[in-house]
Amino acid sequence: MTSLENIQQKFIEEASDNINDLENALLLLENDPEDMEIIERVFRAMHSLKGGGAMFGFAMLSDFTHHMENVYDLVRTGKLRITKDMLTITLDSVDLMKKLLDMDEIGSEETLREYNSLVSSIKGLINGDNRPDEAAVSKPAEMGSFNGQQGITTYYIQFVPDIDIMKNGTNPLFLIDELHSLGKTLALVNTANIPSLENFDGSKCYTSWEVILSTDQDINAISDIFMFVEDECILDIHKISERDLLADERFTKMINDAFLPGKEVRIAKITEITGSLQKEDLSKKVQSAKRKVNGKDNAITSIRVSSDKIDQLMNLVSELVITQASLSLYADSMQTADLQPIGESVQKLARQLRDNAFSISLIPLESMITRFQRLVRDLSEELGKEISFTATGTETELDKTIIESLTDPLLHIFRNSIGHGIELPDEREKMGKNRKGEITLKAYYSGASVIIKIVDDGAGVNPEKIRQKAIEKKIITSDSVLSEKEMLNLLFLPGFSTAEEVTDVSGRGVGMDVVKRKISAIRGEVDIDSEFGQGTTITIKLPLTLSIIDGLLVKMVESHYVIPLSIVHKIYAVDHNRLSESYNNLLVLDGDQIPFYYLREEFNEEGDAPPVEEIVVVQFENVRVGLVIDNVIGEYQAVLKPLGKFFKNQEIISGTTILGDGSIALVMDTNKIINQFSNQTKIMEEAK
Amino acid sequence: MSNETLDQINSYLSFKLGGETFAANVGKILNILEMTEITKVPKAPDYIKGVINLRGTVLPVVDTRIKFGIPPTEYTNNTCILVMEVDVDGEQVQVGGLVDAVQAVLEIEEDEILPPPSIGSKYRSEFITGIAKIDDKFIMLLNMDRVFSADEIISIKEKTGETIKTKEEKKQTEKV
Repeated sequence: MTSLENIQQKFIEEASDNINDLENALLLLENDPEDMEIIERVFRAMHSLKGGGAMFGFAMLSDFTHHMENVYDLVRTGKLRITKDMLTITLDSVDLMKKLLDMDEIGSEETLREYNSLVSSIKGLINGDNRPDEAAVSKPAEMGSFNGQQGITTYYIQFVPDIDIMKNGTNPLFLIDELHSLGKTLALVNTANIPSLENFDGSKCYTSWEVILSTDQDINAISDIFMFVEDECILDIHKISERDLLADERFTKMINDAFLPGKEVRIAKITEITGSLQKEDLSKKVQSAKRKVNGKDNAITSIRVSSDKIDQLMNLVSELVITQASLSLYADSMQTADLQPIGESVQKLARQLRDNAFSISLIPLESMITRFQRLVRDLSEELGKEISFTATGTETELDKTIIESLTDPLLHIFRNSIGHGIELPDEREKMGKNRKGEITLKAYYSGASVIIKIVDDGAGVNPEKIRQKAIEKKIITSDSVLSEKEMLNLLFLPGFSTAEEVTDVSGRGVGMDVVKRKISAIRGEVDIDSEFGQGTTITIKLPLTLSIIDGLLVKMVESHYVIPLSIVHKIYAVDHNRLSESYNNLLVLDGDQIPFYYLREEFNEEGDAPPVEEIVVVQFENVRVGLVIDNVIGEYQAVLKPLGKFFKNQEIISGTTILGDGSIALVMDTNKIINQFSNQTKIMEEAK
Repeated sequence: MSNETLDQINSYLSFKLGGETFAANVGKILNILEMTEITKVPKAPDYIKGVINLRGTVLPVVDTRIKFGIPPTEYTNNTCILVMEVDVDGEQVQVGGLVDAVQAVLEIEEDEILPPPSIGSKYRSEFITGIAKIDDKFIMLLNMDRVFSADEIISIKEKTGETIKTKEEKKQTEKV
């Protein structure tokens, strides 16, 4: 790769990020078209795309973005208003930008055509009648006055005139009026000292004032007013804020609350109020500053690392964990006082390092949400449906490999929900539902798993329809009795699609079975719940990481095996005779009949079995199945390593792990084992 | 080192398998290990003996005898595992191959290598890059990529039943 190509590659990565950010911001903007911050974000993303594009030889991208930028510049300055049309064109433009980054697509005629048509629509936007009305224009004006606020200070002035002040011909009210001429004032009159009428002397001044003044003048201007009465009053001037507090509704409200007629508010109270306000503002400022920093920290506090490097790190950490296990084993056997604590601290460090390294390769679900949002938006528009999409728990993190393999199945589920689930608005109205359908994605942690639910409030699945379809496809016979759950599970069978006609959206017969297969491939489970007429919920359960599992270490003949702990239900010790004498591989354990598989036999192992064997009861779909092994060793944290390409047809072993003594244990895929062996017995029975 | 450079190396490692000597380009061989305990993988093809732990990676081990259709024997002190990197469907995969004994590293110049006989050969030419004559003995130079990327047991000889001796005699008579 030449250095130019190298740099271009970097730019493409960066630009893809920018484009994703842009897309994200645009979708946000749709909900809140007035949000200046988002508009700024859009503008910024476009601007850096334009600059970078020009610099790294993506002239078309740069030119194109330039047109887009013009539009959003107008929006930014309030000369243009965001419309749905504009967003649609911009989103289409985002798609085109993606193509313009792709060397193979740039030259294609289709791209060129799209380019030209979009450029003309963009120009249409600029010349079009999207000029904003007065309301929008007035916004910048308001902002101007906001800026004008700069330089205003708020003072607290307590003015307690001498009781005899009026004897010198001074009218305190004029002084207050004069204060008023300096800026905005809030005068609080304290009349507590006014005596009862019989003692009242009209020539005396009993009143005092507290004035809150916000002005652009300095403190000297205020004391100047009182220059001539300085000796005849108590005057107290405090600067309480560097801004116009009187414009702050919270402040005036608090002052009015504190002011009881006839009582002094006092500087202490006021500083208390301003103090609390300041704190509130400060925390807001800190937050917004934080937000600003966060906005930037993509560039500052995070670094871009190739996923290869992370994979390497993970491998090294896995190896370290294994080495550490053998160190602990050795330390224990040596019984050396010095060695053991070292072994223990290495163990502690290794564990921390492992947790850290694993968390590095976790990425939040959020990274894929934009695509779903986009899909919902585009597809619902195309189909004439009204759908709102919400996602919660998008901060939930999953291993990056899981996220990668999850996108396609999820997109499929969404397509199903939009295509079949949510009804047309009129239909919904007839059924007494809101015209706007809802699709929700919920993600949350549950133990060592992550649960993702996709809920729609659409038509749901008609179990009768599935039944007929299944009979038609000869999957079940017409006299079979199925529970509703079993009926729904038929949806996951290959070649099953209930859509009445094949559409572009879904229903090509490669439906939920592919979803299920892809999710099983990442050790996940998928489940469907549906109420006819009410909606459908699809639940996906995923492991947190693919590279480590909690397992049960067992031994059989000379080999060690690991059974994932999450599916282990119970362990029993059983006499060998009881197993060999049992009829039809059924064993009664705790009063339940448990079918079991004798793994020595199934794995074609030779040699004599021990007199007492152990049976591990595992969950298989809705039933419990026993697997007989020689003996259970204990719990084991297994760092998974693939079995490799040479075993590509090997389904019953999902991976390997290296034990503390350096030997290898095989990780059983119990679902596959039970499936495979139950099929074998079926075939054998049928053969008979 | 790029593959091209590796392919240009003229050194070959010779090893014994069922009384016959084969050789593989050293560029393909990463390591020679002593026989260790091999973890059996249930339901795997017969020729895959299992897996071993090679410094933290899981290495599949192939019993080359079974793979070549030679009857398996007991392992001896001389039994070794050759760790090789082979090309399987365009992907570099590490695999261990059990051989009876490792012999020597031979320098064989390109002009010393005879093309695999195409007609009347007892060897499937696709698995053999050539034949070299060292000290009056013929050594098969194996194409390890092809040998190990084939899924099934490959009979390296097209016809079975002929002893190695007759083959060698025949070779020599051919040469004469």
